[in-house]
Amino acid sequence: MDATLWQRCIRRLEGELSEQQLNTWIRPLQAVEEPQVLRLYAPNRFVVDWVSEHFLERLGEIAIELEPAETPKVVLEIGAAARAAPPTPVLNGSRPTPTSGPRMSAGATRLDPRFSFENFVEGKSNQLARAAAQQVAENPGHAYNPFFIYGGVGLGKTHLMHAIGNTILRRNPQAKVAYLNSERFVADMVKALQHNTINEFKRFYRSVDALLIDDIQFFAGKDRTQEEFFHTFNALLEAHHQVILTCDRYPKEVNGLEERLKSRFGWGLTVAIGPPELETSVAILMSKASDAGVVLPHEVAFLIAKRIRSNVRELEGALRRVIANANFTGQPITLEFAREALRDLLALQDRLVTIDNIQKTVAEYFKIRISDLQSKSRSRSVTRPRQIAMALAKELTSHSLPEIGEGFGGRDHTTVLHACRKVKELREQDLRFDEDYLNLLRTLTT
Amino acid sequence: MGVQLPLGVGLTDGAVFATFHAGPNAAAVQAVRDAAAGRGEPVVFLHGAAGAGRTHLLQAACVEAEQAGRRAALLPLHRCAALPPQVIENWEQYDLVCIDDVDGIAGDAGWERALFVLFNALRARGGCWLAAGANVPGALGLTLPDLASRLAAGPVFRLQPLDDDGRLAALALRARRRGLELPDEVGRYLLKHAPRDMVSLYGLLERLDHASLSQQRRLTIPLVKEILNA
Repeated sequence: MDATLWQRCIRRLEGELSEQQLNTWIRPLQAVEEPQVLRLYAPNRFVVDWVSEHFLERLGEIAIELEPAETPKVVLEIGAAARAAPPTPVLNGSRPTPTSGPRMSAGATRLDPRFSFENFVEGKSNQLARAAAQQVAENPGHAYNPFFIYGGVGLGKTHLMHAIGNTILRRNPQAKVAYLNSERFVADMVKALQHNTINEFKRFYRSVDALLIDDIQFFAGKDRTQEEFFHTFNALLEAHHQVILTCDRYPKEVNGLEERLKSRFGWGLTVAIGPPELETSVAILMSKASDAGVVLPHEVAFLIAKRIRSNVRELEGALRRVIANANFTGQPITLEFAREALRDLLALQDRLVTIDNIQKTVAEYFKIRISDLQSKSRSRSVTRPRQIAMALAKELTSHSLPEIGEGFGGRDHTTVLHACRKVKELREQDLRFDEDYLNLLRTLTT
Repeated sequence: MGVQLPLGVGLTDGAVFATFHAGPNAAAVQAVRDAAAGRGEPVVFLHGAAGAGRTHLLQAACVEAEQAGRRAALLPLHRCAALPPQVIENWEQYDLVCIDDVDGIAGDAGWERALFVLFNALRARGGCWLAAGANVPGALGLTLPDLASRLAAGPVFRLQPLDDDGRLAALALRARRRGLELPDEVGRYLLKHAPRDMVSLYGLLERLDHASLSQQRRLTIPLVKEILNA
C-alpha cells in the first residue's frame, strides 16, 4: 500500500530531525491531503507558531520534492482532522474539527460509566458520603442541594460523583447531566468570553438537570469564573436542579473563594471522605482484583494495604503493578512476588516515614516543638500529640515498641502501647481527634 | 589507506522497540507497548536513573502508535520546561500522550496544573498516558498532590540498570542494527575501559561505527584503543 505524502514527508525528516523533535512537533500533526494542498492540523496556537517558525519552510520544500508534479502547498492550522479508519495510510479529505472555537460541553456529560455505587467499596471513612450520595442520586434536586463532598486526593470523591450522575441517567435517560472538572469550566468560560459566546455558555450550564463539578478548589482566585458560577449556581438551585461539588478541603478552608460561595455551598449537605481504614483498603483491593479476574491472596492484599496508605488511587496503582508483573511472567501472586514488584514504592515509603519525620510533622501540625514530644511534660497539649506521634510510628514504621519509646525521650515500651490504645479509643469517641489523626496519616504517606 | 567520508545521513539507532534491549525490564517494556497499542493499562509511569531507557521507550511508543494509526505526541519536560504550558492545550485529542522528565517541572504551579488538566481530559476521552521521571511520582517534588496521585494511578515501573551481560547484549543489539559486527571481546574491552552508563556506551558505539566506516576497518580492540585515546 502506498504511503501518503505526509508519511513520506515524515520519513524524509527522520534523517534530519531528532527523535524528540519528530515526536513532539511533527508526528502529532494531523494531515489532510487535498488537491495541491497538504493541510496540517496542530492542537493549539502555540504549536502552530512553533512549527511555522522552525519546520514549515522545510516541510514545504520536501512536499514539492516528493510531488514535483503536484507542487503541493503546506498549510498549517489549528484543529484536528476527522479520524480516518486506522490504520489505512490514505487520509481522505474529511472535514476538520476546529478546536480553536468555543467548545461547549453541551450534550457531552463526560460521565464514566465504570463508576457506580455497586463497585464503590464502603467503609467507615466513606459510608456517610456514600449513603448521602445514593439519596441524592435517587432524588436529585430535592434530597440535598447542593451536595458537597470533600476529602484528600484519590479517596473516591470523583467515583461517587460519577456514580450519582450515572444513577440519575439510568433512572431518567432524558436528564441533562453535565460532569466536568472545575478547570474545564474555567477554560470553557474563557473561550466563551474570547469568542463572544458567553450567552450560550450561560444558557447551557443553567439548563442542565444536574451539574457536577469536580475539584472546585481550583476556582480559588478566579473572580470572573466565581461570579459566573455564582449565578449559575443560584439559577440551578432555584429551579431545583441538582448541584454536586467536590473539593480537597472543607469549603470554608478554601482560600481565594468568595464568601458568598462558601456560604451557599453549606446550604445543602457537606460530607467528608477520609482515607480508608486498613480493612476497607483490603476490601477495595480484593474487589479490584476480582474485577480484573485475578486471584489475590488475602495476605498480599493486606501487605499492599498496610504499606500504601496514602490514598485509594495509589493503592489501585500498586495493585495494577503487581497484576502487570503477574500477567507478564505468568507467575502466581505470592507475598514474595508482590514485595518484589513493589520494592521501589515500598522503599520510598520506608525512606519517607521515619520516627524523626513523624515527630517533625506532628509537632508542626500541633504547633509545638519537637523537643516537647521528647520531653517529660505531661500537659495535655503535649501528651495528646505525643500519643498520636507514637501511634503513627507504630502504624507506619517497622520499629519495635522499645525503639519507638527510645525515640520519644527514652520512654518504656509500655508507654508506647498505652499511647496506641489511647489513640484508638479517642479516635472512636472524638471525630475531631480522628480527623487530626487521619490528616497526619495522609500527610506522612502522600 | 584513504579515508572515506561517511554519508551525512547515516543510519541512526532510531528510538524504536527493536533497538531496546529489555533485559530485566521486559514487563515494563510490554506495558509501554500495550499502552502504545491502546490495550492493557492506560496509565503507566516509568522511573529510573539517567540512561536507563525512559526516553527511548517513550519515543518508541510514539513511533509504534503512529504506525498503528494512533495519534501520539511526546513532550520531554526537561527540554521544554521553558515553554509555556499552553503547548499542551488540547492534547487530549491524541490517543497517546507521553510526558518525559516530569520532575523537570516540579514546583512550577502552572505546568503542574496544566498536566493535571490534560491527564483528566485525556483519560475522560479514553486516551493513554505514559509518563516518566527520575523517581516514583511521590518523590518527584511535585507540589500538586492531585497530579502526583494521578501519575501513580497505574503501574509504576522502575527501569533497572543492566548488568554487564545486559550491557553487552544491548551494545551488540545496537551494533547489529547499524550493520556492525561487535565481537564479544571488543564489547568486554569497552566495558572495562569506557564509562559504563548506556548513554556513554551508545555514544562510543556511534563513534566507533563512524571510524570503522571512514577507515574501512573492522571493529577491533586496536581500533577501540585508538578512539578511546583520541
